[in-house]
Amino acid sequence: MTPEQRRRNRIAGIILAIIVIAIFAWTFLRGAELMN
Amino acid sequence: MSSVTADHVPASQGHDDHHHAVPHGWRRWLFATNHKDIGTMYLIFSFIMLLEGGTLALLLRTELFEPGLQFFQPELFNQFTTMHGLIMIFGAIMPAFVGFANWMIPLQIGASDMAFARMNNFSFWLLPVGAILFTGSFFAPGGATASGWTMYAPLSLQMGPGMDFAIFAVHILGASSIMGAINIVVTILNMRAPGMTLMKMPLFCWTWLITAYLLIAVMPVLAAAVTMLLTDRHFGTSFFNAAGGGDPVLYQHVFWFFGHPEVYIMILPAFGIVSAIVPAFARKPLFGYASMVYATAAIAILSFLVWAHHMFATGMPVTGQLYFMYATMLISIPTGVKIFNWVATMWRGSLTFETPMLFAIGFIFVFTIGGFTGLILAVAPIDIAVHDTYYVVAHFHYVLVAGSLFALFGGAYYWLPKWTGRMYDERLGKWHFWSTMISFNVTFFPMHFLGLAGMPRRYADYAAQFTDFHQVATIGAFWFGLSQLIFLYVVLKAYSGRGEPAPAKPWEGAEGLEWSVPSPAPFHTFETPPVVK
Repeated sequence: MTPEQRRRNRIAGIILAIIVIAIFAWTFLRGAELMN
Repeated sequence: MSSVTADHVPASQGHDDHHHAVPHGWRRWLFATNHKDIGTMYLIFSFIMLLEGGTLALLLRTELFEPGLQFFQPELFNQFTTMHGLIMIFGAIMPAFVGFANWMIPLQIGASDMAFARMNNFSFWLLPVGAILFTGSFFAPGGATASGWTMYAPLSLQMGPGMDFAIFAVHILGASSIMGAINIVVTILNMRAPGMTLMKMPLFCWTWLITAYLLIAVMPVLAAAVTMLLTDRHFGTSFFNAAGGGDPVLYQHVFWFFGHPEVYIMILPAFGIVSAIVPAFARKPLFGYASMVYATAAIAILSFLVWAHHMFATGMPVTGQLYFMYATMLISIPTGVKIFNWVATMWRGSLTFETPMLFAIGFIFVFTIGGFTGLILAVAPIDIAVHDTYYVVAHFHYVLVAGSLFALFGGAYYWLPKWTGRMYDERLGKWHFWSTMISFNVTFFPMHFLGLAGMPRRYADYAAQFTDFHQVATIGAFWFGLSQLIFLYVVLKAYSGRGEPAPAKPWEGAEGLEWSVPSPAPFHTFETPPVVK
């Protein structure tokens, strides 16, 4: 694996992890909103 | 796939082991970062879970052999039902496909390994933790959760500590799946060999790429749903507790927003495996490669839009029922494209019927039956009548056993020579197929009629008129379970080095980079990327 590939992998991984956390948070917060 | 040939596969490919030490002993497995080792561990783990989930199924079938309560109280019966579903889905089917992905995706795209090798190790080692939590929950006060694998509120809010075990296990297995999915997406997007454009990738990689996106989109939703269950149970919230102002039906909406794409998470990689096997044994390129890719994407997109067809019985408005009914029916179009393409691939091909091909054709035949019963269930008035009956049980077992499991078996036989360096025992493989195929239908076909006659699912007891079909199903289930021991023997025989040595490309019609490396695949492969024409 080249350093450039490693860098691109890290960026792509972080973006996907952010998407995961955002979906989790949105589902939870939307559920909380409906509760009120 | 357009014909992919490696222009440059280094001659030293099989000798890379000389340059890098291969770890030995327990450290090789505990600290594994090699995609093949991790793939092997995934496959072994999923088979152990298949046996555990299968044993639970046989306990259920034992109790159902006769009306009345013979062996288990209904509470324990429902625990078995729940854990059978959870273990089969999260412990057996999903990890098995990730095992295939780990083994085959780097080999098929010409990558040296997965993008995140250490995270890959962590993804795997979370699995035994989840499995211990599932299994250990039987020993919690009150036993395992008996809420059904769907964990519907408010029942799941009233369960004992076994429910908390299940919630934690789902969190852990979900985290493992998410990490696995991120790894697969990044590997496919960033690690392909020069010349391996997306539209040259084997269809197995395509189906996994789309599946991985599905996982990334819906596993956090499941995690949030079970977290809300947890906070309702222990931290004073009322997301799903009507007494506190919450709504139990909200849980169903959130769960099925995960749950329906989950069905496709378990079937799309199976489509990819079948799309590798059929052309190899028809000795023809896959018919309609591009349409296969687009059909897979279409199925994935539609899977987000149909979740409430699982909820027709909740009393949703007629307009809602109509929308979800028609949207669900739409999925049959891209699915039909796939079935058509597999049949067209076989059309006028030089067909031979080795074990992988038998399982692939068995998959097409029996999965199509499961697809048709799915269409019937999509019709809201029919679904309301057969909701939570054995008709539904028959339907999803036709999709998940004859669909996912048959494809996994087919794939295992297809790539076993590459994994072990030995040809498997063809005669026993064929015995395994026919025994599995017949016993599967003996088990699950009568369930359609049980359901249509009104037999509800998740019941330990039943009215006497259902006895005959239940007995047939139980006999079939034991037959099916025992048939899998043939598979175990065949695999162990190949792994122990018995059987004909396998050439690099054991299947005449097979195409793809994985066949350009020796069998068994060396510890390190494609350290110098091949150039794909």
